[in-house]
Amino acid sequence: MSIEVTNVTKKYGDFHALDDVSVSLPTGQLTALLGPSGGGKSTLLRIIAGLDTADSGTVAIEGTNATKLPPQKRNVGFVFQHYAVFKHMTVAKNVAFGLEIRKTPKAEVKRRVGELLELVHLSQFADRLPSQLSGGQRQRMALARALAVEPTVLLLDEPFGALDAKVRKELREWLRRLHDEVHVTTVFVTHDQEEAMEVADEIVVINQGRVEQVGSPDELYDEPANDFVMGFLGEVTRLGPVRLRPHDVDVSVEPGRAGSFPGRITRLLRVGFEVRLQVELDPEVASGAEPVSVVLPRSHARGLDLELGSRVWLTAAVGAVTVPAMVAV
Amino acid sequence: MTWFSLLVLIPLTAIVATSAERGWSGYVDTITNDQTMAAIQLTVGQAALVTGVNIVMGTLIAWVLVRDRFFGKRILDVVIDIPFALPTIVAGLVLLGLYGNNSPIGLDWAYTDRAVMLALAFVTLPFIVRTVQPVLEELDHDVEEAAASLGASRLTIFRRIILPSLVPAITAGAALSFARAIAEYGSLVLLSGNKPFSTEVVSVRVLSFIENGSTASAAAVASLMLAVALVVIVVLDVIQRRVSRRG
Repeated sequence: MSIEVTNVTKKYGDFHALDDVSVSLPTGQLTALLGPSGGGKSTLLRIIAGLDTADSGTVAIEGTNATKLPPQKRNVGFVFQHYAVFKHMTVAKNVAFGLEIRKTPKAEVKRRVGELLELVHLSQFADRLPSQLSGGQRQRMALARALAVEPTVLLLDEPFGALDAKVRKELREWLRRLHDEVHVTTVFVTHDQEEAMEVADEIVVINQGRVEQVGSPDELYDEPANDFVMGFLGEVTRLGPVRLRPHDVDVSVEPGRAGSFPGRITRLLRVGFEVRLQVELDPEVASGAEPVSVVLPRSHARGLDLELGSRVWLTAAVGAVTVPAMVAV
Repeated sequence: MTWFSLLVLIPLTAIVATSAERGWSGYVDTITNDQTMAAIQLTVGQAALVTGVNIVMGTLIAWVLVRDRFFGKRILDVVIDIPFALPTIVAGLVLLGLYGNNSPIGLDWAYTDRAVMLALAFVTLPFIVRTVQPVLEELDHDVEEAAASLGASRLTIFRRIILPSLVPAITAGAALSFARAIAEYGSLVLLSGNKPFSTEVVSVRVLSFIENGSTASAAAVASLMLAVALVVIVVLDVIQRRVSRRG
């Protein structure tokens, strides 16, 4: 195990940022810390880096107890949401910073910086100032700077959070490829479940200072440990006694299937290739319940000839992921 | 531009023109007069010294005001401005009361060049504090953390990350502080005693020229000080560009 966090607690006044958190992050993997804002995931990352200290608990990096080590001695690379560039230095100087303060010979620094700029596709910008780069370029520079000192672990705090949607998507694919090339143990914090699912080998879901579930993206999606994980990893709706994903609701235009819920379509919305429905169930089967959300492919909806006001019968699809609905939501 | 001309350029040109009234030799005579030279040396020397002290102390005070937490910080923050707010002659009175003949703390520095320095230090203190403070407040904490995680010690972080960001503010403050120091009059007339060759500063010298009806000599000295101020501001600017580029 590359990073071993044991029983870490961190309080800000009365607020429990982290409440007795233990996680093990394996060597060489790309792990996402996923959760809503204010859930404690950034705090955990900063404690691993030594930028914050835990009130209690221990952090071990590659078998060394790092709990009391200052950030300088932990050999971690840290990438910040807002890039944290050294404004007055050129791109090359930024990347060279860690090496220069380690008194690395000049020629060696030059070679390493060249290599890293190549890796992050910024070679032609070596002599520019960070202010002359776009957000995505600055973040790639920050990444090269962090990698320059050959860290044991690379920590990224919402690395794409300040970028626009398109660049964010490009960069996350690029990060995945980079990780496949460099293989440094990487942990990144995100509140975007799509980002976590797409990039990470393993996801740690953190909410209200606690670890809700740890697993691969598929495990989390297919076998959510609880209501929160299920709700956070995708849309959910309620059908009778269970909660499930809207695309796992089967729609039929005739009664007959056992355990089906009759209702009427109250909203119908076409978005691209899919059709989103809201179905109000008949009062006899579910009085006062929220309308059920259903998503189905457009071709399927057309086949059933669905319109606003159509009567439909809903069932949970075979093999659908369901969790019991919480009472009185 | 018109505004700037009316306010600055025309009066400055007038000074240079007046100083030329008595011709080149008259100009040189006035300036190389022993008493005048002594006054110029004293003023420029003390102004430079005080500015040097301010660079260190001003930055330090700004640092403490921004980074440290202590009781009475808000009050100190306000008190820093008092030398600005006080009429300079009042400042002179205050200093005379404390460091004059009947000094309650036993430091009789009246009529020495230390008195000149004290007065200058008092009135120029806020300049660097007030220029550095906002820059320090705006400084991104992330950047220091990034440097720390790359292995930089606190000293290295200060020298290579924080200081280069502060240099423009420090030099701007230093230029203001120096300019104010060479022009200061009110606060030091009382304490310094204006003894020719020892504690007479340029502004006092200029005034006595005017009182004697010799406007041309006054203008000559003034134009020289103008040149000194200009050179210092340019030099500071060059230093600032050098340092902030080096990183």
